[in-house]
Amino acid sequence: MNTPQKPDLAKSAYRRKKIKDAALVLPLLGAFLLASPIITVFATDGYIFGLPLPFVYIFGVWMFLVIAARRLARLLSEP
Amino acid sequence: MLTFNTLLAISLGYVVMLFGIAFWAEHRANAGRLGWLRSPIVYTLSISVYCTAWTFYGAVGSAARNGLEFVTIYLGPTLVFIGWWWLLRKLLRIGRAQRITSIADLISSRYGKSTTLAVLVTLLAVIGSTPYIALQLQSITLSFSVFAEDGGNANYTAFWVAVGLAVFTIVFGTRNVDANERHHGVVTAIAIEAIVKLLALLSVGIFVVWGFAGGLPEIFAMASDNMLNTETIFTSRWITLTFLSAAAIITLPRMFQVMVVENADEKHLATASWAFPGYLLLMSLFVLPIAIAGNALLPAGSNPDLYVLTVPLNQGKDTLALFAFLGGFSSATSMVIIAAIALSTMVSNHIITPLWLSFSPSRTATSGDIRSVLLLSRRLSIAGILLLGYFYFRITGGSAALASIGLIAFAGTSQVMPSLLGGLFWRGATRSGALIGLSAGSFVWAYTLFLPSFEGAFLLSNSVIENGLFGISALRPYALFGLSDYDPLVHSMFWSMTINVFLFVTVSLLSTPRPLERIQSSQFVDVFRLNTEIGGYLVSRTATSEDLFTLAQRILGTNPAHRLFSDMALEQGKTSGLPDPTDDFVQKIERELAGSVGAASAHAMVSQIAGGGTVSVDELMKIADETAQIVEYSQQLENQSRRLEESTHQLRHANTRLTELGAQKDAFLSQVSHELRTPMTSIRSFSEILRETDQIDSEQAQRFLGIIQEESQRLTRLLDEILDLSHLESGRGNLKIEDVNLGEVVERSINSTRGLIAEAGVTITLNLPEKPVIVSASFDRLSQVFINLITNAIKYGHTENPQITITARAIGKLALIGIRDNGKGIPAKDFDKVFEKFARLSESALAGSAGLGLPISREIMRNLDGSLTLEPSKHGAVFRVSLPLAKT
Repeated sequence: MNTPQKPDLAKSAYRRKKIKDAALVLPLLGAFLLASPIITVFATDGYIFGLPLPFVYIFGVWMFLVIAARRLARLLSEP
Repeated sequence: MLTFNTLLAISLGYVVMLFGIAFWAEHRANAGRLGWLRSPIVYTLSISVYCTAWTFYGAVGSAARNGLEFVTIYLGPTLVFIGWWWLLRKLLRIGRAQRITSIADLISSRYGKSTTLAVLVTLLAVIGSTPYIALQLQSITLSFSVFAEDGGNANYTAFWVAVGLAVFTIVFGTRNVDANERHHGVVTAIAIEAIVKLLALLSVGIFVVWGFAGGLPEIFAMASDNMLNTETIFTSRWITLTFLSAAAIITLPRMFQVMVVENADEKHLATASWAFPGYLLLMSLFVLPIAIAGNALLPAGSNPDLYVLTVPLNQGKDTLALFAFLGGFSSATSMVIIAAIALSTMVSNHIITPLWLSFSPSRTATSGDIRSVLLLSRRLSIAGILLLGYFYFRITGGSAALASIGLIAFAGTSQVMPSLLGGLFWRGATRSGALIGLSAGSFVWAYTLFLPSFEGAFLLSNSVIENGLFGISALRPYALFGLSDYDPLVHSMFWSMTINVFLFVTVSLLSTPRPLERIQSSQFVDVFRLNTEIGGYLVSRTATSEDLFTLAQRILGTNPAHRLFSDMALEQGKTSGLPDPTDDFVQKIERELAGSVGAASAHAMVSQIAGGGTVSVDELMKIADETAQIVEYSQQLENQSRRLEESTHQLRHANTRLTELGAQKDAFLSQVSHELRTPMTSIRSFSEILRETDQIDSEQAQRFLGIIQEESQRLTRLLDEILDLSHLESGRGNLKIEDVNLGEVVERSINSTRGLIAEAGVTITLNLPEKPVIVSASFDRLSQVFINLITNAIKYGHTENPQITITARAIGKLALIGIRDNGKGIPAKDFDKVFEKFARLSESALAGSAGLGLPISREIMRNLDGSLTLEPSKHGAVFRVSLPLAKT
């Protein structure tokens, strides 16, 4: 990203469009993972590292969303 | 154990600290040293006003009762924030462009600055927020009562908390009349409180997990089965709650206040988009462990809503409990302060000001300082709202579980959602649709959730709740139309949203928006495509700058108004005096005023002065007319430019022609000098011989003199011809026009050239009509033309058996004469050249001819109103002379 040479305009426009698309898809993905029957696939009685699976799943997805949003926010804020 | 008085002292100390921080921040901001006061971190922390006491205490209570369900309250906002590019960014941009002061203002502004809608949303917000404020008061008194076993009157506590909050809010929330201006003091205090509540909850959580249980797996091992009951985790209630919290973060008045109104820079949203979900994640990380610990440690029947306090107390950690208490106190106070600011703006701008305006329609122009009226009404609103919250708390007695009150409020405010989203993304959404959808949805919400929550104490009796209105079982509030197997919240949300969205969409499709609505709709929906500086149309131009200045002065205050007007005057290029009341300027004033009193009121005020500023159909027609005129004008322009192009083309052509003529003239002059030089040379040389040579015999001298004479004659003839031509060309030929018999002219011409004819052995065939043709011409000139033509035919038409045919006839009003030879003719490309001066066609030109015969003949014919042309022909050259017949 910090490469000194100027990027190809068409390429960077295309990349930016992809980033915007991703910004639109991320909340949809989040809604799918956190508010759809997909939860029941993971929310079982099992434990992982001594932690209940639903707890791990929900907070794991949540953390992933935060990190992804951070990355996207950085990319979207680029001029 | 802490005593009630110690706790009171600590709380007061904390409040004093908040006042101090707020004062300091205001001071700093006034000095212009904003620095980190307007950083993305402060912005993110201020958004955490979402996490109220309900979240702080209630989430643990909810987790103790329903396990993981509590996270839905955070998941909704998380999804909204990570999808900021979709919605929040647009909301912020519109809020900024239109200088929106509240959620009610947003809806009103979008639907044609409708006062009715603003009032409706305001009322809904007040109804939804009052229980919520009561909830905060309740949580504070409850937390007091946990520490103070000697009691202390809960009502007194609540009352004095309410008074303290009102004072803080009035002091820092209404410093400026411009509700659009950021309250740096308040926001900074809220940000500090956000840190306090997060750290408090994290501390309790860390203590519970590592201090008490010894690790995460250990604490989860303590969990009772029903807390992690996986079968009930994903239900319709889960989805409803997620949706509800997502809607709430957008539509709650206090959230709109911190996210949109208090936003200093759009870029801060990018940071908040991940930092706020992160904050929520941290806030909820230890909720479940604390709930588990509470269930395990405390006796059955303890209030789970207070586990955050009672668990540390149970373990003898008084300081930690105190910290937790401050966290809860922070959550409650920050919510109340921001909600009071947001609601007071709405109540003051959309209810009090319009009422005041309608009761005194002429006052904007004549009465005193509106500014102080606005501030007073806002301050009174704050006090009134807190009082309302206090009374609600007294009436309900703090019986209901915290979480359910919060959810009821969420469900109420989320009724704004369809109109809001529709307004932002659908141009066809109309005021009627929003009005009807919103009212119907709110009504259903009130009937199926809000009123029954009083359990028979308010409006709906217990029998109505159980048996339905008028005993009709289809109208049972908790089982509308027989839909009975659902949770009351899910049930209410389903019906209210369904009816709300259905009516909103249907009525929007069926109704026609007013002109102002159409303008506003494109301003909102296309906000990213429009230049934000150009907004709205205000057509009337009757406003005077003085009136506008008086109005602005009263609302914005003298100095800001002065600054605004002088800036505008400068922008218009005036160095002194008031700016001209242009449309731009009137719009700008309206927008500035909207920042103080809301779009609808500002519009009403400015229109009062500007004279009926709502865009009427007539005015729209005028706009359309203007557009048509512009189109017409551009078409005219197009025509003109085409004409211009044509004349340019003609000019260029003429220029080329002129250049050619110039070249011809040059050529002519050089020809003339050449022609003149030839005879001059021989005259000079022969005369020199005669003078300088002595022994020249008289015979030879005679011959030389003859040549000199001949050359002189040629010279004279040439000069005569040139003179003649120039006379003819300039139209100064002075021809004597008379009736002339064409036959006689031809005869005379043949006689004149008889010598030449005989010499060249040419046969002349005459082909004249029997009846004499009388033309209108000059006899001598016409015969000159014929002589020229005949001479020409003899000279150039030389073949073995030369013949010249002369034909004449009369056609209509013209006489046509043809002279044809049987020579080799003239190529078509030379047709024009023939008539040029000194044009000698190829090598066949005979010496002695100056080449002026044909040009002179053509000029003569033109002077006789006739013409001389060369006819295309296969054999020989054909000259055609046409001239008018004599008028008989």
